[in-house]
Amino acid sequence: MASYTKAAQQWATFARAWYLLDAKLQPPGKIAAETVIRLEGRHKPIYHALSDCGDHVVIINTRHIAFSGNKWEQKVYSSHTGYPGGFKQVTATQLHLKDPTAIVKLTIYRMLPKNLQRRTMMQRLHLFPEDVIPEDIEKNLLQEIPQPRVVPKRLDEYTPEEIAAFPRVWTPPKDFRWK
Amino acid sequence: MTSRGSPSRFLTSVLHNGVGRYVRQLQRLQLLFSPTAADARGARQFVEEVALDFARQHPDVVLYVRPCSNPTPVLVAEYLNGTVREELITSKTSEEILQLATKLAGQSGLDIIRIRKPFHTDNPSIQGQWHPLTNKPSILTVRGPRLQAQ
Repeated sequence: MASYTKAAQQWATFARAWYLLDAKLQPPGKIAAETVIRLEGRHKPIYHALSDCGDHVVIINTRHIAFSGNKWEQKVYSSHTGYPGGFKQVTATQLHLKDPTAIVKLTIYRMLPKNLQRRTMMQRLHLFPEDVIPEDIEKNLLQEIPQPRVVPKRLDEYTPEEIAAFPRVWTPPKDFRWK
Repeated sequence: MTSRGSPSRFLTSVLHNGVGRYVRQLQRLQLLFSPTAADARGARQFVEEVALDFARQHPDVVLYVRPCSNPTPVLVAEYLNGTVREELITSKTSEEILQLATKLAGQSGLDIIRIRKPFHTDNPSIQGQWHPLTNKPSILTVRGPRLQAQ
């Protein structure tokens, strides 16, 4: 016999969790795929399309996302103001410089189902260009979502000891002349 | 979204679907008919030819045969849960009435309306209902993800 009431059990089942996702050096599409599942609630065993069971997702470091290929120059984001001649086209770089959260936001918005719940689910998405989070949001966080891509480590992030200890394929002789 | 217009209920079973011992839910069946009316001809034929056999085949159902003056011929089924169902048998043949009576005898007496969810269990999970912290490390209940890194 459970020591809690059925109402408390119901509230616990439908409680909203807050997830953290670090977008540093991650492709926006992979971030969106991970996020959309949680915004819709499709990661829960109780998921039902008619029950509003989505979670909150906090994405940090959206300024430091990584596009592959030449998408920064070639990818074009189009919009129309509604006025004659109001068709605007900006590249990913221009959009990212204007608003560092816009690319992630647009990618997620376009990956969500096109229904009336889309705006509600977008309200449960919290984007931050750097890794600074307001206090009231940070204290809600429950768990960090594993990043879809391994973040590569730059050479200047290794200590000199680590670089010296790195195994070498070939040790140059003492009298080797570097060109 | 809630479809308030049409009545609905959740899927239930009577006495664990008869597992163990089947208890017929129909307790009483009344056949009201006119002894003279033309549209009760099938009902009268049912009484003369089939009613005895039906009563023998269903010893757990009380069958009342009531000739009344000029009613609409009707089968009134009363179930153990209190439901009373009236089925008109106007101008029906004896076979059709037998078919209907057999159907009423097999039913549970629960309302025949839209069922909201087609699944039901008498034994909900003994592990407890799922909640967001099920199968997650219990440290998450006291510390968020950013504190763990320190």
